[in-house]
Amino acid sequence: MVFSKNYIFLAVLVFIVLMLIAAMPLGGTTLAEALACIAAIGAAGWLGWRLFIERRMFLVQVASLRNDYKNQCEKASQSINDAKDFKLQLQLLKRQKRNTEAIIYSISDAVIVTDASDRLIMANEPAGGLFDFDVKGAMLKPMEELVSSGELKKLIGSSRNSRTRHVRHELQFESGENTQTYDCIISCIYDDDDQVCGVVSVLHDITREKEISQMKNDFVSHVSHEFKTPLASITAYSEMLVDGEAADEKTRKEFYSIIQSQAQRLNRLIEDILNISRIESGLIKVNKEAVSTALIVRDAAQMVKSYAAEKNITVEDQTAIVFDQVYADKDMISQAVINLLSNAVKYTPNDGKITVNSEVDESQQVVRVTIVDTGAGIPAEELPRIFEKFYRVKANNKFAKGTGLGLNLVKQIIEKVHDGRVFVTSQVGKGSCFGFELPLLATVKTGTR
Amino acid sequence: MGNKKILVADDEVHIVQVVAMKFRNNGFDVITADNGDDAYTLCCEEKPDIIITDYQMPGMTGIELIEKLRLVPELADIPVIILTARGFAIEDDQKEKLRVAECLSKPFSPKELLAHVENVLANSAVK
Repeated sequence: MVFSKNYIFLAVLVFIVLMLIAAMPLGGTTLAEALACIAAIGAAGWLGWRLFIERRMFLVQVASLRNDYKNQCEKASQSINDAKDFKLQLQLLKRQKRNTEAIIYSISDAVIVTDASDRLIMANEPAGGLFDFDVKGAMLKPMEELVSSGELKKLIGSSRNSRTRHVRHELQFESGENTQTYDCIISCIYDDDDQVCGVVSVLHDITREKEISQMKNDFVSHVSHEFKTPLASITAYSEMLVDGEAADEKTRKEFYSIIQSQAQRLNRLIEDILNISRIESGLIKVNKEAVSTALIVRDAAQMVKSYAAEKNITVEDQTAIVFDQVYADKDMISQAVINLLSNAVKYTPNDGKITVNSEVDESQQVVRVTIVDTGAGIPAEELPRIFEKFYRVKANNKFAKGTGLGLNLVKQIIEKVHDGRVFVTSQVGKGSCFGFELPLLATVKTGTR
Repeated sequence: MGNKKILVADDEVHIVQVVAMKFRNNGFDVITADNGDDAYTLCCEEKPDIIITDYQMPGMTGIELIEKLRLVPELADIPVIILTARGFAIEDDQKEKLRVAECLSKPFSPKELLAHVENVLANSAVK
């Protein structure tokens, strides 16, 4: 019996150990639970133990599945957030692109954006117009195909290779018979690795600025020449008088007279410049009254007759004295007529003829003054610019010196001050017809300007 | 030795008159022209010892006149002084190429002009 009691005890002990070993893989099973399990086995038998173990395993599996599900949900949620961010980023990028395009398409400068392979990725209409390509159809085409200017292509290439942030050059492009000058700014675009991924070229048309600058330079040159010529006479004759080189009283008087006339010439030039400046700035004092154009023309023709006689030029005044009153500043209109007549004398060769006329055009309700000469004439292509300030007909420079101010002053007086109109027709070698129209007094509402 | 002959070419009649008087008063024979073409004709006919010319003149300019003179062997060595109201009448290399003795600007002093002419004539006599 002792043996059998010991045997049973040993068997129970082995069983417990086996149970413990069996229970060990179950994570989280404590010794107490194992002992309880044994107790339960003891109480409920092997079936109960099995059920317990399976339940434990089921719970563990459910927990594991729940963890997996939770992880996947978190991942899915992260993906949804990422997708939302991406969409926002995309919208932002699209908006920025639209802003950039709106800026580029609305400016008048030509803008060309190229990628790292010199293919066009953006351009506006002025760029298409300048290089004669269709902007929409030109995308991703190589610059080689689109732009004829070798200089611009070279600049873009060298900027990209040298990685220069900004370069500025003046480029000239031939457009028909004209040459256009552009101020060209080339800037590199850099990626995140600081590599050049594109080039922006902005071309600003400075043709007009260059012309104005040239005209100003020419003006300064002409004006200084015009100032120096009478000044040269004044200083030379003064020195001769001071040095006693004028032998007799008659010579001295002649010298005084020359000095006086040259000083007046200088003054007239300064007055011309100032008058234009005053009219342009609206500061000139205008004294308008009812005046007869015919009388002004007749007086002016009389004044230039002696000057014309030096070249044996006949001045014929065909003006009939009729009622041709205009509401005008007499001195200013007189100045305009004298300027036109002086020009006619200047540019008409010896023995020529100048015909002056002033007539009333009832149908247009204007007085029309015309001055026709048998002079050098003006090439047709230069006629539109003839009234511009400082403009001079190059071919006629040899006939006479001048500042290019006289005709501009006429235009300012007639059009800006008197609401009239200047006009010109001309044939090279045959002569020119300069003139102007002023509204008849009856059609003008009188008032103080 | 006779008087030196000087040609004065300028389209400003008062300038021609005052320069001519200054040189006549100082023993020169003076001939005058108011344009480049007449100046060239006078050079051919009169062979002056020295020429004073304006830059801008009707017809031939002063520079064109000098260019034409330099092509004629008997006129090629006549010293020329340019007297101009232009600020930049002639570049240095052109001045050298055309052998322009002096380029003086207006306004000018007749006394100083006379001194320049005498100096140029003295230098050309040495050569």
